[in-house]
Amino acid sequence: MKTGLLRHFLLVLRLNLRSVQALIYGYAVPVFFLLAFGAVFRDDTPALKHEMGQILVITILGGACFGLPTALVAERERGVWRRYRLLPVPISGLVLGTVIARLVIVASALALQTALAHWVFGTPWPLNPVLTTVAALAVTASFLGLGLLVAALANDVPAVQALGQCLFLPMILIGGVGVPLSVLPAVAQKIAGFMPGRYAVHILQQTYAAPAGLHGTGFDFLALAVIGVAAALAGSLLFRWEAGHRVARAARLWVPIALGSWLLVGTAAGLTGRLRPLPSAGASFDTITAADIAGIDYSDLPGDHELAGRLDPPFTTLEQSARIAPFVARLRAWPPGLDKTDPQSVRSLVCVAAIADISEDPREGQIARAVFDCLTSRFPPALLRKALAWVALYPHDGRTFNTLPALGLNRRPQIDIVRSRCVVYAKKYLGRLEGTLHD
Amino acid sequence: MDATRPRPVGVRVIDLHKRYGATPALRGLSFEVSPGKIFGILGPNGAGKTTALECLLGLRTPDLGSIEIGGTDALRHPRAVRSLVGAQLQDAALQDKITPREALALFASFYRGAADVDGLLERFGLAEKARASFDSLSGGQRRRLFLALTFVNRPRLVVLDEPTAGLDPRGRHELHELIRSLRSDGCTVLLSTHDLPEAEALCDHIVILHEGRTIADAPPAELVRTVESGGRIRFAASGAPNPEAYATLAAVSAVDAAGDAFILHSSDVHQTVSALLPLLQRTGARLSELTVTRPTLEDVFLRLTGKAWPGEAPADGPREVEA
Repeated sequence: MKTGLLRHFLLVLRLNLRSVQALIYGYAVPVFFLLAFGAVFRDDTPALKHEMGQILVITILGGACFGLPTALVAERERGVWRRYRLLPVPISGLVLGTVIARLVIVASALALQTALAHWVFGTPWPLNPVLTTVAALAVTASFLGLGLLVAALANDVPAVQALGQCLFLPMILIGGVGVPLSVLPAVAQKIAGFMPGRYAVHILQQTYAAPAGLHGTGFDFLALAVIGVAAALAGSLLFRWEAGHRVARAARLWVPIALGSWLLVGTAAGLTGRLRPLPSAGASFDTITAADIAGIDYSDLPGDHELAGRLDPPFTTLEQSARIAPFVARLRAWPPGLDKTDPQSVRSLVCVAAIADISEDPREGQIARAVFDCLTSRFPPALLRKALAWVALYPHDGRTFNTLPALGLNRRPQIDIVRSRCVVYAKKYLGRLEGTLHD
Repeated sequence: MDATRPRPVGVRVIDLHKRYGATPALRGLSFEVSPGKIFGILGPNGAGKTTALECLLGLRTPDLGSIEIGGTDALRHPRAVRSLVGAQLQDAALQDKITPREALALFASFYRGAADVDGLLERFGLAEKARASFDSLSGGQRRRLFLALTFVNRPRLVVLDEPTAGLDPRGRHELHELIRSLRSDGCTVLLSTHDLPEAEALCDHIVILHEGRTIADAPPAELVRTVESGGRIRFAASGAPNPEAYATLAAVSAVDAAGDAFILHSSDVHQTVSALLPLLQRTGARLSELTVTRPTLEDVFLRLTGKAWPGEAPADGPREVEA
């Protein structure tokens, strides 16, 4: 019997490799998504490092919402499961084998994407491959639970496509999977809190690219476990092995129970403050700890009077202040820097210093000083420290400007150079706040 | 007795009831299959044949009743019973890209002491197609593959649901030979069919189902003897009167047209022929053909239900059920 289950598992894998349709959906479409993302973010350095979480989750979603249920429902429609029912083994063993085979198929597609991203776009390998693998398997397992539910509910393959799209599209568009959470409006971000995609992207992005690893991902794992287990349980109880079977009325109650887990997760996230709008900072900001701030290295910074990273001493005379006053007035009224509670405002202001410096503006040192004064006068010290650390540690997160016509800085340097210079200024400012650097 | 032969098992079905929503499919079905016999379940479309077999195989749970296979309660121990049974179902298929060898090896791997895969491929004429994908097999080859799968666990009871449906005459003949050989090999065979001549030729014992109930339960020859005086009269005549006139003849229960000829279903051939000839004479018709066929199971069905046998019936009963 055990030999039979193993043979069935291996056969599912073999048959998947023989099906042109399965190869297209399982491997060609993920590669297409990778290339599409690569085309959009090719100017980043390194490319795609900060989008790999999204790319991998899209592949997992495709395998779970379409790959697994299409295979199960197509076999049910053909009568394959009807024939399996005559075997002297529980049908659940065969279903489990099919699910595990899909897990392997999705994992192989993720590995292919990771390798192609590295070879084609120069994306770094995951910072911690073991943690990334564990995270990817956990996310896939959770989403396959959803796939099992889709298979149980869909009467035929077209219905799988319809139900799958009901899960896939919302998560891609407003669930933080396709469109980054940080660029979504606040309402959409809250809605995303009720969808598993948001948590999946956070886990995978963090284990892939952030030094924090699994730190701060406990709630994400819990959310995916609750949603995945509820869906898998409902899918198992509603599983139909024959095409003509209808779902019994009483059993249909499991569908709202499974969907209720999404509500539960979203509500818990809201009650624990996890649905605060992150218009720009991104999830990585939350993971920054005091140890991260203390561990920042200032030894590589250029001097304050060198060509790159100029920073004038504090203004001591009225003349100095008056010379820069018109710019300071515009800077203080500049909308992207106004929100005192938003770390992105800090990043935006740091961009001003960076762009002035890269553009070799005659006032570059003064502008950098004016930005520092603006930061220290506007933001609470704790938030400011954390936000500057975030800019220094996560240069690719949030929004980075590379031209500021509103402030009279019209040159358009490369975005990567701006990010790199932002790191310099963020460290210079943070070092002063921490007492490590002095004017 | 050959010790390597499987010991055949008997089947006992008692008072089986099954309902799909408001539609009753089985209403107190009972029968007993002796070990080593070929047993036929006959009935027109919707009579409950497939439902009965599916209950027996554990694919459906009856609302009431009991099933024993080889002395084991099949409803309480379905998996234990499945090891004894090989079954060929209607409406079953395999994955497009699976090969016959893979399919047989897969199904064999679930059983202890399974049959040799190469032997099955050879026996069912699939050796040359062992590595071909399922979607490239012809209809006949697919049918042979499903038959081979039926024997993969060396079954002691073989259940065949409409096994010859869709087969050409040669295929039917080969299958009939196979079924007879199963009996000689020590298997019990339980088959459903709507083909009465087939049942008459193959089965040691039959039950006839009608609207979920058993209306006959005996060896075919014994059933036919109960309608010995009945039969079918086939005739053709030029200038014959309106066919409606034949329906009023003595003992005629149904009239079928067959090209230029007519077939009269009669419960008493002597009475009907005695009435037919004067009628033709009176109307000036000229008889060109007259054949009297001995009673068959169709006549048995006619006598028991008052309805003519409905002929070809590819499907059986409602298929949509509560999970």
